[in-house]
Amino acid sequence: MYWLTKEQLLLLVKKLAEEYKIFGPRHDRVSGEVIFDHLSDWSELDLQAAIPYNPPKFILFPHYEEILKYRYQPETKEVRIEQINLLEPKALIGLRSCDLTGLLCLDRFFLDQEYVDEFYLAHRKKLFIISNTCLRPFPQCFCVCTDSGPAAKDGFDLDLTFTGRDYLVEAGSKKGLALIADLHLPEAGPEALTLKKKIVDDSVSSFDRFALENKAWISRATNRLTTGFIKPEVWEYIGNQCFECGACSFVCPTCSCFNIEDANLASGETNRLRTWDSCSFEGYTKMAGDNNPRKPVEDRRNKRFFCKLSYSQSKKYLRPGCVGCGRCARVCPGDIGLPNVVTYIRREITGESGE
Amino acid sequence: MPYYRGICNFCGTGCGHLLRVEGNRVRGVYPVSGHPLSRGRLCVRGWHIHELLQTEDRITQPLIKDGTSFKPVSYEEALDYVVERVKKLSGHQLAVLGSPRASNEENYLLGKFARTILKTNNLSLSSDAGQEESARVLLEGCGWPAMTGTLAELRQADFILVVGGDLTKQNPIIASEIHHAHRAGTFLATISPRKTQMARLSQLHLRPRPGTIFYLLQGLARVLVEEKAIDDDYLARFTVNSQTFLDELRQLEIEKIVELTGISREKMTELAKKLIESNSAYAFYPTGVQSLDRRTMAALFNLFLLAGKIGRRGSGINPVTGISNLLGSYDMGLSPVFLPGYASVEDESAWERLENFWQTRLERWPGKNVDTCLSEEENIKALFVVDHDEEIIRHVNRIRQLDLIVYFGAYENPFASLAHVIFPRTSYIEEDGTYTNSERRVQLVQKRIEPPAGVRPIWKTLTNLALALGHDWNYHSVENIMDEISQLIPYYQGLSYEKLKTRLGLKWPADDLHPEGTDCLLVEEAGRRFQFVQVNSREEKLAGEPEIQKELPFKLVVGRSNYFWHQNSVMKRTFIPKREYNALLLLYPRGFVEISTEDASRLGLREKQMVRVVAESAEVRLAARISGDILPGMLYIPYFIDEMIPEFLHRQVADLEKNEEFFLPVRLEKVV
Repeated sequence: MYWLTKEQLLLLVKKLAEEYKIFGPRHDRVSGEVIFDHLSDWSELDLQAAIPYNPPKFILFPHYEEILKYRYQPETKEVRIEQINLLEPKALIGLRSCDLTGLLCLDRFFLDQEYVDEFYLAHRKKLFIISNTCLRPFPQCFCVCTDSGPAAKDGFDLDLTFTGRDYLVEAGSKKGLALIADLHLPEAGPEALTLKKKIVDDSVSSFDRFALENKAWISRATNRLTTGFIKPEVWEYIGNQCFECGACSFVCPTCSCFNIEDANLASGETNRLRTWDSCSFEGYTKMAGDNNPRKPVEDRRNKRFFCKLSYSQSKKYLRPGCVGCGRCARVCPGDIGLPNVVTYIRREITGESGE
Repeated sequence: MPYYRGICNFCGTGCGHLLRVEGNRVRGVYPVSGHPLSRGRLCVRGWHIHELLQTEDRITQPLIKDGTSFKPVSYEEALDYVVERVKKLSGHQLAVLGSPRASNEENYLLGKFARTILKTNNLSLSSDAGQEESARVLLEGCGWPAMTGTLAELRQADFILVVGGDLTKQNPIIASEIHHAHRAGTFLATISPRKTQMARLSQLHLRPRPGTIFYLLQGLARVLVEEKAIDDDYLARFTVNSQTFLDELRQLEIEKIVELTGISREKMTELAKKLIESNSAYAFYPTGVQSLDRRTMAALFNLFLLAGKIGRRGSGINPVTGISNLLGSYDMGLSPVFLPGYASVEDESAWERLENFWQTRLERWPGKNVDTCLSEEENIKALFVVDHDEEIIRHVNRIRQLDLIVYFGAYENPFASLAHVIFPRTSYIEEDGTYTNSERRVQLVQKRIEPPAGVRPIWKTLTNLALALGHDWNYHSVENIMDEISQLIPYYQGLSYEKLKTRLGLKWPADDLHPEGTDCLLVEEAGRRFQFVQVNSREEKLAGEPEIQKELPFKLVVGRSNYFWHQNSVMKRTFIPKREYNALLLLYPRGFVEISTEDASRLGLREKQMVRVVAESAEVRLAARISGDILPGMLYIPYFIDEMIPEFLHRQVADLEKNEEFFLPVRLEKVV
């Protein structure tokens, strides 16, 4: 572990800026929102800002991305294809551990399967990640229930923990160590480990005080989902409250569903696009021949929570697909974010009367 | 990549969002948690507004018709073309159709242009379904043409009643607020023949037969009287004609209402009692996309007035507009019956004030809306149209006869191809503008990207046209227009861009008494007494009551709320909303009619089986869609695109569109 003073933090950012485009949490002047965004002015970086409203996945997996451009000449029957490469190295400074865990889930989806997503890979290869331990949770948080916080365990190049005065720095990769060496950061003594542990423990015990919105104690629910014993009435109850907006997928750090479309440009070329998509939509699983394995809305809700708490992530990687950031609960018009759904499932298990 | 605060421009909720702008393009959208109404939520359309704003499929230069196609011309050429022809026309030969999606400034100028320069009062909006009528009912009843309550205190309400429409699809985030209120303990009731999602989320859902909501509301008022739950003091102090109303009400027989509506006395009493017991109660109904008829809106207003819920904090009657600036457009006077600020066209002093303000003589003849102009007026020779819905296309034959059609639009659509001259326009984030949502919140949307080279905003084009026709308006910026609006229209009195830039919208009236906007109508501040809105006996027998004949045993109802995706021309330019919109279309390529499960099994119908829907003088073939959402004896067609419904409904379409209580008696036959 190493020590980093507040002044040195700015030097660190400056050093990174020589090679990377800087992203971090800042306060939007007009809306007051905390946004994880590209910083043109580094003094805007605020590591003590609240959990940003948007997950940083858009940096690797943009909302709307051109992946290639083509032009077809009907006279010569020639096609010219141009891959669009935006390989800017990016530094993510102040990533909270929930969002970092989400990024690792996306890594598993895009890179660890039979087909490696080359566009995601292109963004991912040139990332420098600096995570930031959460000193306290926010009302919506429940990372302790999903083993994704308040401190990051791996996946970072550098991990910062604010002690009230300075930062404790942990290296997680060779790149991280190199930067530490470049800045000549002083090594911390054995008391640093104890100090960090205390900070993290304090953060965990303060959940009862700060994380007041519904928390999702999900292990029982995961078990129930995996064994498949949830009555259809529960899903219908949940489905009735779904407004089919897709917000849950869009704000979720681990959601990776996307759509491919071709858009014609005024210049005569065509862009092939990748955009965010959501399994909330009826059209998402619609197939040729009018088949749709998930036509009713309750089937789509059912699928989402299986995906988050049972299939893919849990069964394959032995960790929940949810990182406890609480954003879905915030943006859902129908109030069926993951915590509430888990409550409904657990009610069904314990046999308590429903609403 | 900067994030810019903005307001969504689809429906009348006006949710706050953040737009990610990169390289003069909107690359993404995010909700903004601090917006007082949307509080961090967006619906599927709002989440994809960047797809619409990215499209390059736009009109980017003025065009003049050349044979069967258009040739691009300069602005000067296009302006000359219009000026030359307009000079030969009189006001009676012109009609102007505004867009409920254009900004207040654009609509105000359009109205000023029409009245002062074109000298025409044929001014209207399409897609207003019921908004004008709703304004008239509320003005008569309490002097305010829009929401009398506020949405901010919804979660503390005791009672919410939603009448008609399908709010979760039409204005999802307002419906979400209602849902959250319900989850926080508010008693939520829905009145609608169809089982909408709102109905599923309610504690009490009354399903009167199609066309009988009016009677049900009267019945509820009658129960209030029977239960002696009237606040006589409130009525005496704040209303003028309560005695007349109560006398008429006492003559109603509840048994007759039970028979007509199919709702039991017990259920009516249950709902009425909940209303009586509540301290804070709100009523919601839709306008703009789908609406109730005048008598039903009046009955709802009367019910709430009787229950003492108008003009009190924490209560009110709330029409919900389905389109972003529908309310603002009426505030600006784009109507044949209102002058700017809802002065009546029959008020001579209002005309004088307007003449004084605009420094031009104005003609006072009664204007007509565009539908009437095109279907009845033979004088009409020219149309000025701003980006609008495609419904006007049903008048295609008449439109083809016109001498001059001037179209201001950003996207090509079937109507645009009928125009003689087209002016491009800026999209809503390519120029500053204010938009007024359902709760009277005037919100400023600032310019975030540059328009395509050479494209002028409508206010500039209109100013150029005005100058060419001899009127020097001298506006230097769109802000000047708002300043003028705030001087003319009392509701907008205290508004300015300076003020709006630092606040997340202000609810009008924002005058000296309420510099930060007004939450709700308070009877102490109304300056007049309230009155029960009269429904004359002729209206009682109006649309919604053709007698059920034995040979035509079904009631065919047309709805739009639940599938309203904001017309093809907007949706076609997106990806995911288009896919969702098509999800239903592609399943039933030749249209469908919903039939109840009971009727389907009785008639032995299969899902997607072709049936013939036969009315008195027309018939249409559609696929049957079996649904548990509608009542036996009822048939339901979602009228959202022209492709689905051929001429069958075109004759009654005006009634059908505006009033969800209107029905056609039909019979159903299997196609063998």
